[in-house]
Amino acid sequence: MKNLYIFVAVLFIPWSFSLAKYDEFEDGDDIMEYDDNDFAEFEDVNEDTVTESPQRIITTEDDEEEATVELEGQDENQEDFDDADAQEGDTESEPYDDEEFEGYEEKPDASHSKNKDPITIVNVPAHLQNSWESYYMEILMVTGLLAYIMNYIIGKNKNNRLAHAWFNTHRELLESNFALVGDDGTNKEATSTGKLNQENEHIYNLWCSGRVCCEGMLIQLKFLKRQDLLNVLARMMRPASDQVQIKVTMNDEDMDTYVFAVGTRKALVRLQKEMQDLSEFCSDKPKSGAKYGLPDSLAILSEMGEVTEGMMDAKMIHFLTHYADKIESVQFSDQFSGPKLMQEEGQLTKLPETKKTLLFTFNVPGSGNTSPKDMESLLPLMSMVIYSIDKAKKFRLNREGKQKADKNRARVEENFLKLTHVQRQEAAQSRREEKKRAEKERIMNEEDPEKQRRLEEAALRREQKKLEKKQMKMKQIKVKAM
Amino acid sequence: LTETPSPARYKPPATETNPALEDPTPDYMNLLGMVFSMCGLMLKLKWCAWIAVYCSFISFANSRSSEDTKQMMSSFMLSISAVVMSYLQNPQPMSPPW
Repeated sequence: MKNLYIFVAVLFIPWSFSLAKYDEFEDGDDIMEYDDNDFAEFEDVNEDTVTESPQRIITTEDDEEEATVELEGQDENQEDFDDADAQEGDTESEPYDDEEFEGYEEKPDASHSKNKDPITIVNVPAHLQNSWESYYMEILMVTGLLAYIMNYIIGKNKNNRLAHAWFNTHRELLESNFALVGDDGTNKEATSTGKLNQENEHIYNLWCSGRVCCEGMLIQLKFLKRQDLLNVLARMMRPASDQVQIKVTMNDEDMDTYVFAVGTRKALVRLQKEMQDLSEFCSDKPKSGAKYGLPDSLAILSEMGEVTEGMMDAKMIHFLTHYADKIESVQFSDQFSGPKLMQEEGQLTKLPETKKTLLFTFNVPGSGNTSPKDMESLLPLMSMVIYSIDKAKKFRLNREGKQKADKNRARVEENFLKLTHVQRQEAAQSRREEKKRAEKERIMNEEDPEKQRRLEEAALRREQKKLEKKQMKMKQIKVKAM
Repeated sequence: LTETPSPARYKPPATETNPALEDPTPDYMNLLGMVFSMCGLMLKLKWCAWIAVYCSFISFANSRSSEDTKQMMSSFMLSISAVVMSYLQNPQPMSPPW
């Protein structure tokens, strides 16, 4: 019994600590409950529960973390309890002695029922917890950013390596065919830089020039955006390949007038919709090239049959069949002006400028997972480009073909003029009115009355002359009609 | 097919007018980043500020080399400041939406 008293006294110490800590509790009732619960808990004699201090009971309900933190703090006290417990083991398991706890009998029983009331458990706000683990969202974010940066560096380097591998493979062929290989437009003189021009982390340019028949050749290595993690993830859903785009600008005298394209069906359908020249001159749907021995994957878009006949010679067919998987599209056009421009009606006053061009789009094998070695397989395609340049120069339409071609071009121009006729008239009218207004203003602004009169007279004379000219024209027309 | 090179021709039109038409991603991301960082600052939303940081990183990764670095840097700084301000005002960790 004495030991029991000692034990109770010892229990007082942490209990008073808990009181101090939970001073903020305005609820007097709560404290009262603790008071009773303290002894009530003690009643439900159980070694484990007894060793727990009240504050632990309250705070360790939910958070395991809390439990460990708080428990650690209580380690010292626990030792005391342990000693007491060892001794009290026997007596605690017994129901309490009636003699000793007479006064308390009622209260503990009464408070037992109250014990069933839910204990308000306080969730310690996260920022008071002082543990790094509560900031897991932030850590996640920072990890994401680091992953992005890592991917950026890795992707950038890979693209760089691929570009240089391509260039090293093709350098010899290019240098043997072109006098100027590599130019970034900054030098005053046209000297070969012999280097790729990096536009982006995924686009590299190379300008070659100095060859007969062509003005120049622009090669664009359009790699996948390996440096952008979002793009990498998007590509996991939808695989895509790196592309090499070659645009050869021909001299005017070195190419005849025709529009011709060959490539994968899908690419041609898209180009026919997008490209100004293909949509205007090649009205038919892409035709299969099986007639010429091309694989099924390739189709042909042509202005007229004669062009197709002329283009599909043995060597070209050989190129196209052997490297069909790498060819996306090949376009020869004398009316090339790029994709259709979405202009407002009022702005269309002139046909877009055209240039004689050969366009090649090749897919790099590997569909995304390319290695620098794959670049070697593109070398024959460059030979095809060179061959095409020479072919384009040599190929001439016969008389019939030329007539048809000229007719086509005239037709397109006429259509365009018809469309814009109204706009052009309006534009001319407004210009004339502007001029008149400007003149009138000048006359009005003249302070000197003399000058004013003279200017007015000059304007009148000009108008009279115009009227006379018109009358003359009308007379001439009448005479001709007669 | 080695050809005798004719006189070397002039400069590349390598600086085409097309880049602006081709890929609007960096511009959109820049704008989005600024919008999110403004939201994060005004409405004191931490996740807005974090998304702004991401947007500005994406914009940087997709940018063209000819593009102004000043704009990139300003958007980046703005998003970082949005994050910092959100945490100074409210040091609580971000709570997940679920």
